[in-house]
Parts: sequence; C-alpha cells; structure tokens
Amino acid sequence: MQLSRKRLFLLFSLTLMMLSGVVSVQAQDVTLRYFMWDPSFEESEQVMVDICSAEVGVNVEFEVIGTPDYWTNLQALAAAGDLPDVFNMSSGFVDEWIADGLLLNIQEYIDRDIMPNAEDYFTGLLDVARAPDKTTGDAYAFPFAFVETVLFYNMDAFDAAGLDYPSEDGWTWDEFLTAAQALTIDEGDDGLVEQYGFWFYGRYAHIESWVYNNGGSFLSEDRTSFAPNEGAVEALDFLVSLVQEHGVAPTSGEMEGIRQQDVFPLGLAAMWVDGAWNISNNRDQLEGSDLRWGLAPIPQGPSATEPQAYGWPDLMAIASTSEHPDEAWAFINCMTGPLRTVDLTFPGKIPVYRPTAEADEWLELDLLPANKGFLLDWAVYTGPTSFTPGWGEWRGYVDGAGLEGQIDAAVSGNVTVEEALAAAGETANAVLDRFYGEE
Amino acid sequence: MRYHKVTPYLFIAPMLIGLLLFRLGPIVAALFISFTKWNVRTPPEFLGLANYQEMFASDTFWLVLGNTLLFAIVYVPSVIILALVMALLVNQKLRGIGVYRGLFFMPYITSMVAVAMVWNWIFSTRFGILNNVLRDLFGTSNVSWLTEYPLWVLIIVTVWKTSGFQMMIYVAGLQGIPSYLYEAARIDGATRWQQFRHITLPLLTPITFFVLIFSIIEAFRTFEVTFSMTGGGPLNQSTTLAYYIYQNAFVFNRMGFASSLAYVLMFIVGVITVLNFYGRRRWVIKDTY
Repeated sequence: MQLSRKRLFLLFSLTLMMLSGVVSVQAQDVTLRYFMWDPSFEESEQVMVDICSAEVGVNVEFEVIGTPDYWTNLQALAAAGDLPDVFNMSSGFVDEWIADGLLLNIQEYIDRDIMPNAEDYFTGLLDVARAPDKTTGDAYAFPFAFVETVLFYNMDAFDAAGLDYPSEDGWTWDEFLTAAQALTIDEGDDGLVEQYGFWFYGRYAHIESWVYNNGGSFLSEDRTSFAPNEGAVEALDFLVSLVQEHGVAPTSGEMEGIRQQDVFPLGLAAMWVDGAWNISNNRDQLEGSDLRWGLAPIPQGPSATEPQAYGWPDLMAIASTSEHPDEAWAFINCMTGPLRTVDLTFPGKIPVYRPTAEADEWLELDLLPANKGFLLDWAVYTGPTSFTPGWGEWRGYVDGAGLEGQIDAAVSGNVTVEEALAAAGETANAVLDRFYGEE
Repeated sequence: MRYHKVTPYLFIAPMLIGLLLFRLGPIVAALFISFTKWNVRTPPEFLGLANYQEMFASDTFWLVLGNTLLFAIVYVPSVIILALVMALLVNQKLRGIGVYRGLFFMPYITSMVAVAMVWNWIFSTRFGILNNVLRDLFGTSNVSWLTEYPLWVLIIVTVWKTSGFQMMIYVAGLQGIPSYLYEAARIDGATRWQQFRHITLPLLTPITFFVLIFSIIEAFRTFEVTFSMTGGGPLNQSTTLAYYIYQNAFVFNRMGFASSLAYVLMFIVGVITVLNFYGRRRWVIKDTY
C-alpha cells in the first residue's frame, strides 16, 4: 500500500504527538510522598506543596506527623522499605540515617543546581549532612531552614530595673550576672521569687549555648567520645552558681508544671536562652500584652577567644529507596528556593535561601522582637554542635536522663558538677561505644 | 445444618488466628530479637547473650527494677484496700447508688492523658492547688512533688485511677454472698465488724485472689501514667520496667535490648503468678455456702 506524502506526514505528526503525550502523562503520573514533622506550620506548608507540585509537575501526597510520633512512624516505614520519597530530617539524627544507608546521596544535584548560585544559599549549613567527613564528604540532605539559640530578654523588666539592654555586640558573664541579680525580684522577701533574672535547665539548647560560647565542648576532638573540656566545666560551674550561689535562677523542679517555653512569656524570668523558633510561641503567649522583649547574644565566657553561636539546620532528605529521585530533588529544590516567600517561612527559623532571609519583610519590623535582624548577624558565629549518633540517648533529649538529668541534679545541689559529668560520661560513652566501639 | 467436626474450629478461628498472629507471633519473635542488635531501620545482627549481659550489668536496669518492685509493693495493697472500702460503701441500698458507683468508676474509663493533665496541675510546684493549700493552711514552702517524689506521685494517681475497676469486681463479689449468712450472724449477736471479719472477708477471698493477680499484672505493666506525667524522670527515678522497654524500643531504637527486658518482665510476672496460684490454697476459701 502506497501512502501519500500528506498521509505520511500526518501519521508522523500523530506519532510524535502521541509520544509527547505519553511523556507528559508519565511526568504527571509521578506521585511523591512528603512527610513533615511540624503540625503548627501545616497550612503554610500545604501552600508550598501546592506551588512546588505544580512547578515540578508531580503529584505530592503530603502528610504531617508531630514529633516524637514522626520518628516512630518513619522508622517503621524504613523497616518496611516504604519510606516517603521526601521527608524532614533532624541534624541530631542525620548521621545515624546516613550510616544506615537510608538517605540518598544528593551531592550531584547540589553541584548541578545549587553551587552555580552558591551565594544565594547558606551553603555552610550543608556540612552537618555530609558523610563520611563533615567538611569534604558528600551531602545526604539539604537544609530548608536554620535555627540558632539566642538570649530572650524582657525589655520592660530591664527598664524597671534601670538597666541598659544587652549589647548586640556581645556581653560578658559578669555583665549578665549583674543584670540577673538586678532583675530577680522577691516581693515581700517571703522566699517566693516573683521574677527570676534567668531561667534554664539541663536542656541542650539551654546549656550548649553557654558551653560553646566559652570555648567549651562536650566531645573529644574526633567526636567519638564524651570528654568535656575546661571551657565546658567552667560554663556548667557558672550556670550552677546562678542557682546555688546567687539565687538568680530557679531549679527545674520549681517550674514543674509549667511548659519550659512559657516561663519567659509568663514573666517568671526576665532572661532565657533557647532556640529562636520560640519567637512564635512568645508571640502567641503574649498576644494582647504590652510586654516588650528582644533578642541578644549569649554572654561570652572568659575562656572564649571569639564569639560562638549554637545553631543547626533543619533538613529535607530523599529516601535511598525512592523510585523518583530526580523529581524528589526538584521538589526539594523548589521548596527551599525563591518560591518560598517570606509569608511561607517559619518564624524564628532563618530560610536557607539568602534573598528571602535578607528581605525587609522577613525582619517583620511591625512585630516583636524589634531586632529580629540580629539573628542574621549572630548566625555568622555559628560553630559545631554536640550532635552524634545516639545523641538523643546520651544527651537525655527525650527522657530527661543522661547529661540533661545529671546537669539538673547539679543545678539542684544534689551532686557536684564533677560528679554529674562523671556520671553523664559513663552513660554517654557507653552509648557512643555502641556506634564507634568497633572502629 | 449438618454438624462437621470442623465447624467449632471455624467459629473460634478468627480469635485463634488473631491470637497467633498478634500475640503469640510477636512473643516468639521477641525471644529471637532479644539475641540481636536491631535498630528497626536495618536488618538485625546476632549478638548472642550480650543484651542480657548488658542488662544485668547495668545500674539503670537495677534502679528501674527497684522502682517497679516498689511500685507494685505499694500499689497492690493500696488499690485492693481502697477498692474494697469503696465497694463496701457503694454496696448499700441507697437512693441513686448507681450514680455513686458510676462516679467511683469514672476515673478508670477516663483517658490517662486527661487524668495526667489534671494531676499535673494539682502537683504543679508553683501554681498547683496542693502546694497552695498547704502554704495557706500550714505556711509550708513549695514542694517539687514531681521532681522529689515522682514515683509516689505515680502510685497515688494510678491507685486513684484504677481502683474503680477493682471496686466493681468486689461489688459483684459482695452481691454473691448470700444474705442468710448475715441474718444468722446477726441472730447470734455478731457485730458489723465481726460479720465483715468472719463472713465478708473470707467469702471474698476468691475475688481478692483475682483482684490480687490482676493488680500485680497492672503494677508491672504500668506505662501510661509514667509516659504522661514524669517521662520516667528525673534521672530514671520514676522509670518502671514497661516504660523502660518502650524507651529502649521506640525512643532509642534498641529493639534487641528492649526485647530482652520484655522477657525478664514476663519471667518476673510469670513467677509471681505461679507463686500466687500455689499460695492460694493457704488463704483462698472455696465457695462452701
């Protein structure tokens, strides 16, 4: 059968159209599963998911599970070989997940899509997700935001005590102690302190900030054992003295029954060190209140040679079992890039995309804290963290035991700092030995 | 319908399959897992007896076991006595007695999370009603109940929450005692105490035996209250064995170690139950009326 040229062209065109149709249908048919850990940002994240699923041309099944159930679910899915394609990953757990071979090496994607515009991203944050080496290894997760600890202070309390606000350029332990003493108020001298100068307990975000800004560390140089140095011991001695000697901070038992993040906004303490993500809770708790508050650097200890902030990124990772790694990466790239506008960022967390973080709108000048821009200045000084495999266990992050419990025991006066560190070291090194002992 | 030998098995099959799959299966699997290192995410590695060796050499394990035994030793008699007293109180012919029974039973069916929130407020150091009342009445300074006496707080809350169930079992037992025994005793001049001592208490022994076994098992598997109120803190002072198993399995991802702990827990509960069954001949009175 002879086909006319016209018919042949028509057939060719139809074939081409059908083929392109198949390709297009295939792209649209890709469905990614994305798990996120923070229900408080579900709505804004859903907006981002809608934007990026359209941008990448994939369907996205989006699921939000609050912690700690998030990790239990994720582990069960990992055991079943059914991890979501994309999921939030913590800096504290990323090493274990990499070691277990559950995360996809995304260095090639980063080299291709991020590094050509490296100045637009806080690329230094990638180090936490590198393996085997933290500076030269490949990246297995990509940061979507950066968090750091800061000192929150009650501006009204400072005014009432006739104190100058803490300098953003830094302040010393002595200056801090003087302020804490002036801010501690026991009306009626009945032993029931109405306002403490400071509030802390053994929590990592409360303690490590002081340790690292005193040139201290809880870990050995190779990060495989618990070996607090002099700077760490000095910082703990100072913190314990705030409770035991100076009476400017309560024990954790005294604040039992109050959520730790509510002590500051309730006005029970005039200063508090914790993650900047608490900006959101402060705003919620103080809604309708006239109380003014601001951010300041962690006071610098006598052993510090330079300022050091304590911070870490929150990450997005791709499962090594994902059948759609290209699409999963394109989705992450979209979720962390310029399409995440300021209104879709997480308050108190610095977006990894610099132009967004440095935009005037991100500073939220009409809201407290008035000096939110300080977060960007302070981030410059970010140093190492104490995250290791098994960190949650030896640090007592979930159960309040481990190092956290021992520090609380020292703060309560039940043991000395030396005894606390010795006991914590026994637990910590037993945990770390499980991961590094065979090496 | 014709009877086939297979028919009864078909009727019990759903239960039997469920039991095999979801109870016996995991129990057997846990025995094997207890000899491995398994973090759930990756395949298990055989360790032999290492988990058991680590457990028995661990100070934390002995602390937790001590906490569990103390919990059981205080909880079991407390809940039995309270449940019996409540049962005697509500086993009377009063108007609206059903309401009282319901009220006493209410904590048992209330969500542990809600119960924990309320009791946390009561025991809260600064704003808790307990410290405020003590301060106003006796001028005492604030006590950090959940930090200084965490295990005792857990025992109090658990006794309060669970005694309603044991009470209902006792009520059923009390109603099974024939009234003619009390009538005969009254005719013989027995006081109320003598009636209780020589009729009620002995004839309730089969019920008490059941309540005892049930309460011991409850004590050893206590979990929700620890999870909701203290998280085992401070420094494992209120961690009980069941909670310790959960922590190791689902927080620290040490399924192998957690399984070995679970087997030790099963062994302890098993031994105590067997001892109780042997010991009951000495004090449980069979129904002779």
